[in-house]
Formats: sequence, structure tokens, C-alpha cells
Amino acid sequence: MSKELLPGLALQKVDERIMTLNVGPQHPGSGHMRIIVQIDGDFIVACDPDPGYVHRGEEKMAEYRNYITNIPHLERPVIHDSCNVLYPYVLGVEEILGIEVPERAKYVRVIASELNRCIYTMYWLAIYGIFLGHSTMFMWPAGDRELLIDLMEKMTGARVTHAHFVPGGVRNDLPANFEDVCLRQVNYFEKRIKEYAAVFYDNPILIARTKDTGVLSRQDAIRLGTTGSVLRASGVDYDLRKKEPYDVYDELDVHTNVMKEGDSYARSKVPWLDMMESCNIIRQALQKMPKSGSVRVKLKPNPKGKVFDTVYKRVESGRGSLGCYIVSDAKPEPYRVKLSVGSFRNLIALPYLLKGEKLGNMPSVYWSLNYWPVEADR
Amino acid sequence: MNTATGIIKALNSGIKHLAIKRFTLRYPEEKLKFVGDGYQFDPSTGVGIAGSKGRHMLFHDKCTGCQLCSIACEGVAEAIGMVKVPEEHKHNKKAIMPQIDYGKCVFCGLCVDACPFYALYMTNDYELSSFSKEGLIYTPAQLQVKPYVSQDVEIQITNRGATHG
Repeated sequence: MSKELLPGLALQKVDERIMTLNVGPQHPGSGHMRIIVQIDGDFIVACDPDPGYVHRGEEKMAEYRNYITNIPHLERPVIHDSCNVLYPYVLGVEEILGIEVPERAKYVRVIASELNRCIYTMYWLAIYGIFLGHSTMFMWPAGDRELLIDLMEKMTGARVTHAHFVPGGVRNDLPANFEDVCLRQVNYFEKRIKEYAAVFYDNPILIARTKDTGVLSRQDAIRLGTTGSVLRASGVDYDLRKKEPYDVYDELDVHTNVMKEGDSYARSKVPWLDMMESCNIIRQALQKMPKSGSVRVKLKPNPKGKVFDTVYKRVESGRGSLGCYIVSDAKPEPYRVKLSVGSFRNLIALPYLLKGEKLGNMPSVYWSLNYWPVEADR
Repeated sequence: MNTATGIIKALNSGIKHLAIKRFTLRYPEEKLKFVGDGYQFDPSTGVGIAGSKGRHMLFHDKCTGCQLCSIACEGVAEAIGMVKVPEEHKHNKKAIMPQIDYGKCVFCGLCVDACPFYALYMTNDYELSSFSKEGLIYTPAQLQVKPYVSQDVEIQITNRGATHG
């Protein structure tokens, strides 16, 4: 009996040799997502990433809350990188209202977002270590991350989910003596992460496992629309802090780290090099920051800017370009908020990278894409 | 670099850690120091004062029952409800004050930013666990109490590595 199937419901041909394997959504090696892989023996024939298990409707929720109460919600997608997630939203609202932010607040924001980038990358690196079965690389970043979390706690009052940035500046000034403590701990932090080279990045076992696996060429990286460390590991010198400087990044000397190989070793090394660059930026910002002054402008109850407006702002987050599109219709709530996140763009490359790889290389290739499931689902 | 030297270097780097100090906070026995007395907000300048965002503290002699903290919390967590209090103040005709449910609170501190009368601050107290859901609801009388928070250690960086102590 033949059945007329709907166009999308064509039955898949069954091949005796091919086995379909669901990695996730409860698997510790996948995060909150499922990767459907089809394997022939030990080799991956096809791969279908299936995100969406932690969709929380952050964008829809933002339409029912006013611009200030959106702040604790919109930083939820990546709690380890909460300042960077909030950054484009705050910049966009400032442009709608036509607010000029005090100079000191801009520097405080840059310091906070660079510290957050390091905190996120350390967490990412810890998970990358445990994915490869390298327990030391789980323990060391998880411990050294505490140095920066302590700084963020002194600065904002919370270890994660700081809710620190607001339209018009930051919520509180730096505590007394913060500059010295920050400089001391950031210097020590940089010394510590340089030690990771001997145990992890120059380790012949890691090199053997990750070199020449999941190679993304320069052309493919551009064509697939990847961003951030994935793009830079494929040899494209693109960093929004340098290309489209926001706040005070144009006054700071930002150096980007580019590697040409495009394999998962390069993709795992670029964020580590970026952390040292973040330490440089923090030191420069601490030096150039005005020693006193206001950090927040008071918002007026009835703003007189161009309140019917659409803005799109983007920043460089720990996972690449992170954009926020806001439509305002002169009400206390935004008409539409849309986040365009780096995680989701990088995930697109996964099926291309895994084709022909061994199944054992799947965790290292997958996590080297700097993918954060919660951010991609929003 | 050949394989043998690489592995020896990696092992050597690990062995060095036997000599450096332990970077572990032994939590219940020792607790971290905080900056300041908790997150506070100055409505005259519109800027907050840095501090830890922990359990709230309510000043009964300043609270006017204006419900602004409750309105600020509406879109975030809906943790603050206004309840009747027995005592009557001249400035609080309705005799209502905030009651905070810490099962819902996300400790963002927007309620502190909303208070124009210096009546609601946050403190360093973060140990709020309870055996029941009802135990997490703090009445105005409980919020009035200034908590005692022990602050023992902070991160110190020495020549032999960072340590708590």
C-alpha cells in the first residue's frame, strides 16, 4: 500500500552500515542540546545539530517589561558573560534616548566587559579541558577564574549576573582602592594563564588530538558567517573592538590574535591569547581612566530624544559579534528586542566540520566552536 | 618540540604546583571579606554605592509605604509584596511595608535603586537557606534586623602564589 507523504515527510532510506546516534540533550558532552550524528564505523557521515532545548523567550519577554526591568532578564542567556550580553542593549537604548555617557563610566564598562570576557573564557576552557579528559585543565581555570570573579564581586556586588550596566552609565562607582587590587590580581592572573601553555597548549597529546581536526578554511569561515574566535582562528583579522570601536575602545590599543590553521587547536588557542589581550586592555583602561567624576547620568521621566526609532548595535563578546536590534515606539516598553548572537552563527559550521571526522573528535570540534547553548536559544 | 620533551615539560609544570600555596577557600570555616556594607543607593545623585548584593535591610522609620520597590520588582521577579504592619508612623499612613520572598528574588537590586527615601538597602548576608518555602519569606520585622556576617579572609597574592588568608 503506497501512501502519499507530505513533501517534508519523505522517509529516509535505511542503510545497514549507518548508525544514527543521539548525543544529548542530557549528555554532559553536549550541553543543553542534541547533536544527531550518523556514523559509519568510527567516522561521522552526517551531523545535524538540534538546539532549542533551553529556549526561554527572552526576546518576547522584553516586549512586556520596561527598559530598566529588562536588564536582569537580558543578561540571563550567558550569566558568565553578562556584561557583554547587556552591552549592545544598553548602547542601543542610549542612542534612542540621545544620552551622552560620562567618560569614567565608559572606562568602567570597558573594564567590566573585559573581566567578564576572561571569566567566560576561563569557564569555557575548563569545560574544553574536561571534554578532552584533561582534568588538570578543568581544575586550574576553574580556580583561577575566582581571582576575576572576586574583582567583579567587589565592583558590582554579585559574582555572576551583575546587572551592572544601565542606559546612562553604570549603577555604582568603583569601590575605594579598587584600581590597585584590580591591577595586582589581573597581573597575577596573566602570569597564571601563561603557565597553561606547558601543561595544555604545548602538550603533545593535545596537539595530536586537535591538530588538523575540523579544519575550517578562510573562505568557508567567511561564507558560513562565523564570528569571533572561530573567524580569527581561520585567518581573518576581524574584531569589532578594532573595526567598529564602541565606547572608549578607539582610545585603547587593541591587538587581535589571528591564527591561520583553522583547526580545532587554533580555535581553542585564540580565546586563550585573547585573554592576555584583555589583561592588556584592562591595564590600559585603569591607567587612562579619569580618577573621579560621575558614572551615571540621571534619566529624565519624559525623554525628548528620537524616541520612535530602530537601532542596531553590536559588540565583541566572548563568543564573537553580539548584536541587539531595538524598535522603540515611544512607550515604556520596547516594541521589539532581537539579539543576534555569536553562538548560533558559529554552530552553523558544525555539520561541515564534522563530516568525515572520527566520532572521538566530536567533543573537541564541537566545543572549540565557542558555542553556548543557552545563548543560541535565548 | 618532540613528544618526550613536551610530556616532561607538562609534568614539570604540574609538579611545581606542589610547592605553591593552595588557592581554596574552606567555606564554612572561613568566609570572604566584602567591600563596604552592602549595595546602597543615593537618590540625590542617582548613583549607587558599591557593595555586595545580599539580603535586604528595611528602615521602618524611613519607609513611607509608597510601593515603588514593589513596582520595580514587578517585571523582574515579583518577589516584593506590600503587607500591613502593626506599628503606625506619621509618614506611613497606610501602615504597609515590603515583604520579600527570597525564593523569587534574583538580587538585582533594582528595588534599592527605586527607593527615594533611603529606606531599603542591601546587606552582605547571603546565607538564606531554609527548610521550608515559607521560611524564605521575610516579613518587614525580619528585614529590620541588621545581620551579623563574619568576614575572615581575602585573596592575597604572595611570591608563592595566590591564597586565601
